[in-house]
Amino acid sequence: MSKLTRRTFLGASGSVLALAAIGRPAFAQSTEIRHFWWGNPERDKRTFAVIDIFNQKNPDIHVTGETLGFADYFTKLTTQIAGGNMPDVIQQGYGVLFEYIANGAIVPLDDYVGKSLDISKMDQSAIDAGTVDGKFYALSIGANSHMAMFNTRLFEEAGIVPGETFDPYGYTYDELAEFAAAIKQATGVPGTDDNTADYQNFSDFVVQKGAMLFNEDGSYGPTQEIVEEYWSTWEKIRNAGGTPPGPESASLAGVSDLAQMGVVTGKTAMTYLWSNQLVGVQSLMQDKLGAAMYPNTPDMVPGSIVQPSQFVCLTRDSANPEAATAYMSAFVNDLDMTAVLGLERGIPSQSEVREALQPKLTEVEALSVEFFDKIQGKTAVLPPPPPSGSNEVEQTFERLAVNVLLGERSIPEVASDFLNQARAILARA
Amino acid sequence: MQKFFRRNLAGYAFLSPWLIGFFLLAIGPILASLYLSFTKYNVVRPPQWIGLDNYAYMVQFDQRFWKALQVTFQFVVISVPLKLIFALGVAMALDKGIRAIGWYRALFYLPSILGGSIAVAILWRQLFNYDGVINSILRLFGGDGPYWLADPKFSLWTLIVLAIWQFGSPMLIFLAGLRAIPQELYEAAEIDAAGPVKKFFAITVPLLAPVIFFNLVLQMIEAFKSFSGAFIISGGSGAPLDSLLFFTVYLYNEAFSFLRMGYASALAWVLLLIIAAFTAIAFWTSKYWVHYENERG
Repeated sequence: MSKLTRRTFLGASGSVLALAAIGRPAFAQSTEIRHFWWGNPERDKRTFAVIDIFNQKNPDIHVTGETLGFADYFTKLTTQIAGGNMPDVIQQGYGVLFEYIANGAIVPLDDYVGKSLDISKMDQSAIDAGTVDGKFYALSIGANSHMAMFNTRLFEEAGIVPGETFDPYGYTYDELAEFAAAIKQATGVPGTDDNTADYQNFSDFVVQKGAMLFNEDGSYGPTQEIVEEYWSTWEKIRNAGGTPPGPESASLAGVSDLAQMGVVTGKTAMTYLWSNQLVGVQSLMQDKLGAAMYPNTPDMVPGSIVQPSQFVCLTRDSANPEAATAYMSAFVNDLDMTAVLGLERGIPSQSEVREALQPKLTEVEALSVEFFDKIQGKTAVLPPPPPSGSNEVEQTFERLAVNVLLGERSIPEVASDFLNQARAILARA
Repeated sequence: MQKFFRRNLAGYAFLSPWLIGFFLLAIGPILASLYLSFTKYNVVRPPQWIGLDNYAYMVQFDQRFWKALQVTFQFVVISVPLKLIFALGVAMALDKGIRAIGWYRALFYLPSILGGSIAVAILWRQLFNYDGVINSILRLFGGDGPYWLADPKFSLWTLIVLAIWQFGSPMLIFLAGLRAIPQELYEAAEIDAAGPVKKFFAITVPLLAPVIFFNLVLQMIEAFKSFSGAFIISGGSGAPLDSLLFFTVYLYNEAFSFLRMGYASALAWVLLLIIAAFTAIAFWTSKYWVHYENERG
């Protein structure tokens, strides 16, 4: 008796459970949309607030947010791709976006434009930047450029006055070497981070020297001379006392966490980041930040570019593309939502949004708008998207540059090693 | 056959959670990774069969593969013996009757519980930072500590120290082994006027040999697979200058940073074969130095 009854009982309760499981979505009131981004505490706070606003305005859609630091973001995304459970809406950057498009993880938005997705007020340049082979894939959240952020108190104490003793929008490496050492003399804090292992600065330098990071045919652009000159330039600043000792900078090679940047920890007076990160960096420190372009050579050939800072994209795993694109649309157009986002992800690419933000800008946001006005005409043209393998070339650069920082091997030797490896990576990709 | 099965039914029933887990969760991924190791696979696109290319590339062209092997071997060869010596030393100290011995055992075992965790790896990074606790202590004594983590000459040693610090589980096993050695042997040796060194090498080591062997194999496998400490301390990349490029860290990078899942699977199988080979070698040499009490002959 007991055996039979137990089995019947188990079977019955099992099917009740199964029924309950199947029944749930049908009873659910709303469509679930997942939004995944990489962030920092400031961005996460703002984005969750934006999601709340959207959910209140759209009771039939329920958006949930997921966030990670940049270092772990793509790892998690990879496992989600493999598992077929990517969130509906993901954040992408200009660098790796195209690999995801090429591999089919991100799907085109053209079918939704004019319906659930409104791009009528977006800047044409932003739309172009998200378009590949005639299809529109990526909705730009904001524009971005390279920015050197400096601690105004330390600069002041050393008598370095922006606009008088140095021009934040056109100073040379030689001038940087001088005032960085002067700041160290006056305050005890080295004037600048050491960018020997910083690929963003290196990529600017390559363009300033008249080359391109990737040639038309996809081959690697920098020459032996350019790589050597870049590292020698920073070596000169380091030897003049303008940066922390080489080994200290080596321990920060490849670190992306804002809290560990020299200007935040107080170990240097200037750190080189993306302009949209100004808001996040300022929120981590007391002293007021100033903004400057990256240093240049005496020829002043533009090296920095203005590029979309981040995109929101629709993934191939989205079960509700209409609802997801409606959310994406609100993310860039809805004035209540964009007011909360502010300029933390860059200067918005939608004209109405920019106008609405103007009167309400905080001090630090006003500074980043001013920075964008001042760099007009001083930037280079946006190059074509980088080929596959570029991400690995970047990490190889960071890794090998540590040799230079530690003085383990000579600059020419490391430079030729790097170029050989870069070419091998691109050939294999 | 049927009789055998009936007799062992209870055993299999108790094993079943593990068996189910093994067949459902482990066998599938293991076979899949074997298949993927012969393919080019970037997760998004379907895998593409390329035969032995991954293995050929690894051995012929991949400098970082050889570097990763070198770092891992260095770590295993240095950290495992040191850890076992340390564990045995502490076990012998605790074997003597001390008051509140239970507390000491728990205290010494604690690092092993915490040891593999991310939190401890982060703590370790803080301790060994240039401005960290270790260098602050050195400065108290007038010395200026090196850049432990940024200097490739020292970075691996911080991880070796971290590994030794987690000596708890071999220590407990040693302790059990020490307890099993008959006291009469030591008493007899004392009557023959043997000193502590003589007693250690003539009684403790030979009788403890099976336990030493067990700990050696276990810790060796553990060391080959170690990951989280190197991953956290090197910022995930094996930095500085690949001095912390443990095999598992390299494998992780290939898989998740560069989306070469096929190649990473091949690396995983190579690691499996290496561990199997070293375990086999350990078993083969054990014939010459490990003797079991119940052995015949």
